[in-house]
Amino acid sequence: MGLFDIFKKSDPEAKAQQAAAEARYEQTVTALSNGRLPAHLIDRLKNSREGTVPWTATMTPSELLIMRSHGIKPVAAVSATCWLHYGWSWTEGHMQGWDAAIERLQAEAKAAGANAVVDVKMRTVPLNIEASMDFTLIGTAVKIDGLPPSENPIVATVPALEFVKLLDASIVPTGIAVGAHYEWLNDWRGRTNLAFAGNLESKPLSTLWETVRRSAHAQLRRRLEKSGGGALAHVNFSQMFEVEDSNDTKKYLARHIVVATTVDVPAEPHLDFRSKTGARLRLADAMPLEFAMAVDLKGEGTPLKGRSRHHQSYSTYEDEGAI
Amino acid sequence: MTSALPAHAVERLKGLRTSAHSTGVFTSDFSVNEFLLVRKAGFEPIGLCVGSCVYHVGIQYGSWSQNQELTVLSKAMYHARELAMARMRAEATAMGADGIVGVKLTIKRMEWDEHILEFIAIGTGVVHAAGHQGFRAHDDGPFTSDLSGQDFWSLLHAGYRPVELVMGSCVYHVAHRGMFQTMKAAGSNVELENYTAAMYEAREIAIERMQAEASAAKAEGVVGLEIHEGSHGWQTHVIEFFAVGTAVLPLGEEIAPEKIADPIMVLSVND
Repeated sequence: MGLFDIFKKSDPEAKAQQAAAEARYEQTVTALSNGRLPAHLIDRLKNSREGTVPWTATMTPSELLIMRSHGIKPVAAVSATCWLHYGWSWTEGHMQGWDAAIERLQAEAKAAGANAVVDVKMRTVPLNIEASMDFTLIGTAVKIDGLPPSENPIVATVPALEFVKLLDASIVPTGIAVGAHYEWLNDWRGRTNLAFAGNLESKPLSTLWETVRRSAHAQLRRRLEKSGGGALAHVNFSQMFEVEDSNDTKKYLARHIVVATTVDVPAEPHLDFRSKTGARLRLADAMPLEFAMAVDLKGEGTPLKGRSRHHQSYSTYEDEGAI
Repeated sequence: MTSALPAHAVERLKGLRTSAHSTGVFTSDFSVNEFLLVRKAGFEPIGLCVGSCVYHVGIQYGSWSQNQELTVLSKAMYHARELAMARMRAEATAMGADGIVGVKLTIKRMEWDEHILEFIAIGTGVVHAAGHQGFRAHDDGPFTSDLSGQDFWSLLHAGYRPVELVMGSCVYHVAHRGMFQTMKAAGSNVELENYTAAMYEAREIAIERMQAEASAAKAEGVVGLEIHEGSHGWQTHVIEFFAVGTAVLPLGEEIAPEKIADPIMVLSVND
């Protein structure tokens, strides 16, 4: 691996390797543009499912415990990407990008013969390439004992432990829903110019924010109407920009993106505090889960891990990080 | 093992606690919870194992308009980590450890030369308190794992034991798009399929390599898999996908399954 590597290019073995890599890449491009998964990927998932190669899981060891207690088995780590160029709308590109990635993730889970993908993480690669970004999902495809492989595997953003917690309460986390909206405000009358005013609400901007946020959430609700159930919205991202126009009028761009984990909650009320006979129910009767005080084994917030703010004398700005 | 230990390292290791030398001191980077749980799992920490490797990463440029793996860089990133880990493992072997838990892999960049990276592997060497040999890796050396002390305890109680910290690396060059392609996409939201395909290729290669390592270690599965995307001072279109996880095997006779209690689910009121 030195400077003279360039001369080794004529080596027939290296040439064959390169040709194989190129052929494989071509196959990936063709498959993806035809809405299929690359063949070598399907092979890997099939091998994992059949046990000819080790299974892989993003799960933690304590989550392996639920394999015993709840019959959930990891099959393979699955991932999906959609790299999108946002030509006409950055904001709405987020909806399009995540939706395409979710669809591909489900295809991988299906190839793995899974019932669900748990622990789905939303990621973006730190490559800044003009006017585009990638929407990547990484998770673990799991099989539930006694269930046949699913046609449409569930995509759950929650880790395996929380997945089981929800199932225990007969709630099924079903997927990810995204709502996004943006709007321009053209302030040609200069109503946002409050330079000499006292304490005063900037009504045009308040209205802009409100409209944009409400529209994004309305979009989210419309998506839920299809799937039913509810949403646990965990990402609320908003930005506003001021742009100076040529003839001194100010323009504002506001955008809001909301990302939620959708859950399917059974129709019959679980938290009915009064039963038919009028007797008061305790929470524990409605929820199948037991409540108890427990000591958390996670070592967070202790000075001995060096991660908390207990010590900062030796913190540096050096480029050092997890790899 | 790839290298003999320096004399001062051997000297340091002599004073440490072993099953034969129970009054010796031990060193570790455990927190209180980790320490207690590693002991509860039936192990004693004996010493902090360190391996390091300062590596000059060669130069390789991807051709401007091509998606391709940069094999020189892939090999460098893998080889350097491998060296650091092997040195850490050599220390563990020398102190008679059955395994290393809580391995942390880090990369440091040297400010005077962008091509020099330091790879560091640190973990705590542990021995089985009752001298059980069944926890060793497939080659009878110490097992390695990036699991914390808590995770180590949980893993044993889930009926598995760690075998080897497995990893796979792929440094990939993402092609630049031509002017014509860029103009075609202007004004519309479209998928850039060649970029998507590049991500798929790079990630698959990293996962496949990691899985091949797990197969070689005769493991049943890989737990705690993480995929890191990182750029270590390369040009803008170059990225490394690094897959890392702990290969595991089911416990044979070490802990009888019926002795392992079913977990109790709790809902935390803290978050």
